[in-house]
Amino acid sequence: MSEKIIITEKLVKRFPVGDGEFTALNDINLTFDKGEFSGIIGPSGSGKTTLLNILGSLDSPTEGTATVLGHKISSLSHKGAAQLRNMHIGFIFQVYNLLPVYTVFENVEFALVLQNRSASERKKEVMQALEWVGLENMANKKPSKLSGGEGQRVAIARAMVKRPDLVLADEPTANLDAKNAHAILQTMKKLNEELKTTFLFSTHDEKVMAYMNRLIHF
Amino acid sequence: MKLAFHLAYKNLMGAGLRTWLNAGVLSFAFVVIIFYNGLIDGWNQQAKTDGINWEYGHGHLINDNYDVYDAFSIQDGNGELSEAQQENLTPVLIQQGNLYPNGRMMSIRIKGIDPNQKVLLLPTQLLNNSKVEIPVIIGKRMSESAKVKTGDEFLLRWRDKNGTYDAATVTVVGIFETNVPFIDGGQIWMSIDKLRELSLLKDRTTYFVANEQYEYAAIPGWRFENQEYLMREQTKLINAKKAGGSIFYVILMTLGLLVIFDTQVLSIFRRQKEIGTYIALGMTRWQVVRMFTAEGAMYSIFATILGAIYGIPIMWYLSKTGLSFGTDGGEMGIIMSETLYPVYGIGLILGTIFIVVLSATIVSFLPARKIARMNPVEALKGKIS
Repeated sequence: MSEKIIITEKLVKRFPVGDGEFTALNDINLTFDKGEFSGIIGPSGSGKTTLLNILGSLDSPTEGTATVLGHKISSLSHKGAAQLRNMHIGFIFQVYNLLPVYTVFENVEFALVLQNRSASERKKEVMQALEWVGLENMANKKPSKLSGGEGQRVAIARAMVKRPDLVLADEPTANLDAKNAHAILQTMKKLNEELKTTFLFSTHDEKVMAYMNRLIHF
Repeated sequence: MKLAFHLAYKNLMGAGLRTWLNAGVLSFAFVVIIFYNGLIDGWNQQAKTDGINWEYGHGHLINDNYDVYDAFSIQDGNGELSEAQQENLTPVLIQQGNLYPNGRMMSIRIKGIDPNQKVLLLPTQLLNNSKVEIPVIIGKRMSESAKVKTGDEFLLRWRDKNGTYDAATVTVVGIFETNVPFIDGGQIWMSIDKLRELSLLKDRTTYFVANEQYEYAAIPGWRFENQEYLMREQTKLINAKKAGGSIFYVILMTLGLLVIFDTQVLSIFRRQKEIGTYIALGMTRWQVVRMFTAEGAMYSIFATILGAIYGIPIMWYLSKTGLSFGTDGGEMGIIMSETLYPVYGIGLILGTIFIVVLSATIVSFLPARKIARMNPVEALKGKIS
């Protein structure tokens, strides 16, 4: 029997808008198994990113429950949520969100610094992660010197270097051309298969959908 | 905390010129504070040393009838002590008189002192070596105001203890240079034996200057004023200068700290996505607060390093060559040499570093607290206003 790493039950998320409220998620019931390569698809404003934020413990539900890796998100303290993200969850953002003053190596290393890993261990893991994404020769470059595709590959390496159980990717190919988008997706698919990491995407890009094992329509 | 400083260091080094501009402004305040305080401390030290060497010795034993602020007390403000009581003391007798240099009249104090004394730097040995009838020594200020030089003779008129006026010609056998105006302007120095003879005040003394070995025991009719008491006016003035100067460097520090505060506020606003990313990567909000606070504190550390790079050579040079003010403090009635040599104590330097680092940390923490209340999702979108 497959291991369920995400379970949402009657998940609701509302945001205050002016005097009223906007319901971003309404009665969401989902489960994701370990090792899935799944996509949440839907138009802008349908709540895809909101769901990823809740599953990534960056936000909490208004009603219902979201359980990620056995942790009930609404019950987590700030510190507990940070710990969950630090040890188990990797994020890939649409605009890469690389730290501009750090080199490629340092950006990828950052997640391991937060885990208090030793310098030698960090170096080994970072170089391996950069090899996964084919950027081992760009370790000393600053993000400003990278192309869009290279930047996103650094973001993937950063998300994967700590070998998380879950990677949440929010529109990861939205800023990339078709060639780079395919390359990125192939890299992630390969990592999914080799490391059995669960990938959950939010997207409305058909190129991405073609790679998914499961699609959830919002 | 180590992580906060590690990340803060990387962020500041990555920020390049902006970091060094901020550190530069703060370092200027830092260097000026140390320099100004060093200058005042140097003045204080010089004034104390000169005061002790030229006038105060290790305290004064003063006749109770003599009041330094009351000219009418000069005539009768003197007394006698036995030989035994005068051990480790150098007697000084003061009388009033008039001087007639170059046809002008000047009202002066005539001070008699033991020519063999060693407790003060006054060149009283000149009084012994001279063959003239009444040799006197005067200070540079007195020589300038009276327009006399070594070897000049002029008429001195005084009143003896019976109130009878007498006059004689005195000869300047030496002109001394001192930063202590109280033993220079408006006075002449001669042998105490000669002054006692002229004023018919045999064995009388206005005050005694104590040497290092002197131990005060109460003597009726006499009061002892120690160095601190004698220096009180000068000390007050220096303390007032220090307090006045502190306003100046509070302004400088405020400017430096405002730069850091502004940078922090702007930085937190501009780096919202970065803050969101830190949180998404697993930092707690307080870890991010600590990192931003550490960045601010690190400005002060960089300022210290930068200040040391350009400040140490400048301050070392000035401590050797001194800072000339073109005039000494004589005209203002204070002990201040024309050239002041700053003195930089370890307490002053460490104290200033501590104040600068602490202040920079506080002004960095104040805006950084906002991060603790940030919604990471909004921060990631860069939507916090």
